[in-house]
Amino acid sequence: MDFVQNFPAVSILLCLFGGIISSGLRGKTARYVNRGLLLVVTFLSLCTLCYTLESGEAFVYVMGKFPAPWGNEIRAGMLEAFMAFFFCIIMLLSLEGGKKKLVEEVEEEKVFLYYVLIDLLLASLLALVYTNDLFTAYVFVEINTIAACGLIMIRQNGRTIEAAARYMIMSLLGSGLLLLGICMLYDLTGHLLMSNIKDQAAMLYASGQYRIPLLVTIALMSVGLAIKSALFPFHAWLPDAYGYSTVSSAAILSSLVSKGYIFLLIKIIYRVIGFEVFYDSRIIDVLFAFGLMGMIFGSVSAIRENDVRRMIAFSSVAQIGYIYMGIGMGTQAGMAASVFHILSHAATKSLLFIAAIGLTDVSGGSRKFIDLTGGAYRNKWAGVAFTVGSLSMVGVPLFSGFISKLLFAQAAVQNGTKMLPALIVLGISTVLNAIYFMKTVIRIYTPVEDSAYESVTFKNMKLYGLTLICFIVLNVFLGVSSQPIVDLIERGLTVFS
Amino acid sequence: MYYIALSVLFPILTGVYLLVRKEIKNRKSLLIQTGIFLVITTVLGVLALCLSGGGILTPFNLTDRLPILFKVDEISILFAVMTMVIFLCAGFFSFIYMEHEEKEKRYYGFYLIVFGILLALCFAGNLITFYLFFELLTLSSMPLVLHTGSREAIMAGLKYLFYSLSGAYMALFGVYFIERYGNTLTFSTGGVISSQAAADNTGILLWIAFLMLIGFGVKAGMFPMHAWLPAAHPVAPAPASAVLSAVIVKAGVLGMVRAVYYIFGVSFLRGTWVQTAWMVLTLITVFMGSMLAYREPVLKKRLAYSTVSQVSYILFGFSVMDAGSVTGGLLHVLCHGAIKAGLFLCAGALIYKTGKTRVEEFRGAGKEMPVLMWCYTILSLGLIGIPPTGGFISKWYLAEGALSSGLSGFSWIGPTVLLVSALLTAGYLLPLAINGFLPGADYDYGSLKKKEPPLLMVIPILVLTLLSVVMGLFPEPLIHYLSLIVEKIL
Repeated sequence: MDFVQNFPAVSILLCLFGGIISSGLRGKTARYVNRGLLLVVTFLSLCTLCYTLESGEAFVYVMGKFPAPWGNEIRAGMLEAFMAFFFCIIMLLSLEGGKKKLVEEVEEEKVFLYYVLIDLLLASLLALVYTNDLFTAYVFVEINTIAACGLIMIRQNGRTIEAAARYMIMSLLGSGLLLLGICMLYDLTGHLLMSNIKDQAAMLYASGQYRIPLLVTIALMSVGLAIKSALFPFHAWLPDAYGYSTVSSAAILSSLVSKGYIFLLIKIIYRVIGFEVFYDSRIIDVLFAFGLMGMIFGSVSAIRENDVRRMIAFSSVAQIGYIYMGIGMGTQAGMAASVFHILSHAATKSLLFIAAIGLTDVSGGSRKFIDLTGGAYRNKWAGVAFTVGSLSMVGVPLFSGFISKLLFAQAAVQNGTKMLPALIVLGISTVLNAIYFMKTVIRIYTPVEDSAYESVTFKNMKLYGLTLICFIVLNVFLGVSSQPIVDLIERGLTVFS
Repeated sequence: MYYIALSVLFPILTGVYLLVRKEIKNRKSLLIQTGIFLVITTVLGVLALCLSGGGILTPFNLTDRLPILFKVDEISILFAVMTMVIFLCAGFFSFIYMEHEEKEKRYYGFYLIVFGILLALCFAGNLITFYLFFELLTLSSMPLVLHTGSREAIMAGLKYLFYSLSGAYMALFGVYFIERYGNTLTFSTGGVISSQAAADNTGILLWIAFLMLIGFGVKAGMFPMHAWLPAAHPVAPAPASAVLSAVIVKAGVLGMVRAVYYIFGVSFLRGTWVQTAWMVLTLITVFMGSMLAYREPVLKKRLAYSTVSQVSYILFGFSVMDAGSVTGGLLHVLCHGAIKAGLFLCAGALIYKTGKTRVEEFRGAGKEMPVLMWCYTILSLGLIGIPPTGGFISKWYLAEGALSSGLSGFSWIGPTVLLVSALLTAGYLLPLAINGFLPGADYDYGSLKKKEPPLLMVIPILVLTLLSVVMGLFPEPLIHYLSLIVEKIL
């Protein structure tokens, strides 16, 4: 066994221990520990990525030397390694971008708790990405939920407590359904390791036994994860949770936490149930339909919103809809498009959240559109970054959103029955996206005479500005040279199953 | 070949530079800089046209199968030359006109960016490159519409944005499908749809062609997606309206030409319902635009409606797909470009000098500003299609092509509609000239003052007027050149 194969497990454990150690540290030290961890994990993921790319296949790492079917396994291919790598980068940027805000909004003696939660969240995300054991996945789903609740609630005001409570209830409902699904699957197949379940599920499917329980299991797990990732119509918790929490939390929740669950769903589709079985279950059509509805209703809600943070939050509902639409197409191409959109949306949405905070800060902290007028002149970099994010969301070429749109459309064109609805809704949703994002961009670039608010220059916000630049570069990079990443995703998906 | 990249990048980069740099205190230095940038861009553009010689430039690949690709062919030369002439004229005109407007730096910045993007559209060698710059064109020209920042301007700008984005998406629809059914996305004469795919999927491909026509038609102001144009063009400052009305709408025309003649191919579309539908839509637009212009009292809005009508003359020429009519269409691209830019600049000069906006308020303007009003009159005659101006030649070819096309019905309905619309054109353009020169007996000649606009305003208008006349007097070399193009694409 190569040395590199230890890295995934080590990263998860590092993060867990980081969380534990941080609970005894002061805020600042906890932050250093967290940044150190993030950098190390990024590096380890990169090594894993290079290793898997070189070997061209996934490897299985047995935890604690207990062989299957008793022991716990980790399985890492290039897709998993790349996801871990990407998640770390986005998390790092989101934390840096929201650092100043965090100091303002969170009481000083609680800052260390924030980093404890972040470390645990990262651990659970990595575990969701890497694990090959369904029950371990469930455990980390719960850790993820609790950490996310904490992240929402750590900024103490009435709205965040309400939002966290809502999030908790919806999320636990989701986990409950997932757990039920896992129990039933265990009952049906007698296994918890993904690869073993898949063999058994294929056998069950071939023999035609337990048709209905299998269907119910698939439905339970899909719906559970759909609730947790805020697929329409289960998105009611989302706008408050993303809208009122501190900005790093909002960015991380929208671009990473929900994506972790989606990644788990993709994993379940490919590695637990098996693609054919899942495809034949027709649940996939339900996901497709709700994805389409989400694309429209998310945008419609965003148009009606008068609060910029909540508007961005509602736009997430639409974007999650895109991802489910891709999954629902039931083709390899659709899945690849979805995975690419996970990346592209993560890069764009966190950029938008971070840029929006810069704009509201120079508008007296108000998030109403009327106060944001001319904001882009008062904080130039935030204005540019918000524009880039908006253009990417609308799907203008040269930005990452366009490539997602292109991939979705290409996948749709190859799909006979789902082609027309997918393309039409893509079109409608593009125009709807343009309505609210371009409206905001015009608003922030409308000059105002002698504004009451002060403007900031790059000198006063070096770190924030640099984060924005990194985000912009990331977006343009995904938009201009997407081919290697798309290739990687396609290779990763073949190795995945 | 690298001149193509330079001529596209230079104006865009200098435009961005103007946008981001600090406010320039000294107005003169801003103007000198802008002037130099405009001239250099034009020189680079001319070099690109002369020296690239059919070479292909691929700066980068969007994805493996979608390269960004530039190429110079005859159509590019035609559109690029028109773009450069009009941008220079309107640019120098702005130097005086924009004196009293705010945010001049922003205006010139976006003006240069639009210039670069339009050149890129002319040089675009495949559908995805065209689409890319088509989207960017919408985004970068929107600030020109929004310039005054009034509520009306913002609403018009948003309208422009949504119409254009919907249109661009319909065009993108085509990209998705042609990537699947076509051999390549690169523009090639005669089309890129493989005959096998064309035979198997005729129905769906025809729908795609129709959608692309409607989509690109948004920019060209073709019915049923024309409503943004009369709202957006007049609210911009006059030189920007000139550019919008004379050149940017042509981006839509160029898109349709590329889609029909270089992607689907004439042989695929000729005689199908798509051609019929296209002809019907253009004729409706021709008539409706003229009617609306006739009823419109505000000068710049009237000119905008006139654009709706006149651009569909061009499109009608292309939709007939006959050698004569296509020649007429190409010629009218140039004529309408020069004439409409000239008319908008005249309107700008009138507004600049008098502060009035409605047509009936310009009584006696011809006595006060004879040179300007003479230009206006000659340009109007050109748009109506009276010899010896270029408009006559182009409309002659359009009508003749339609008559000889052998399409049942349209061969005579078309010319009739064009003729009626020409009468309406006379009806909405000439009253201003008549009232301007012959204000009537009750006009107070005592208060009359000479107030010819400054030279920098008059010269661009004179140049455009002269061009429209020269095209009418010596059309031979141009027609010869156009017939070569037509031979290739038909």
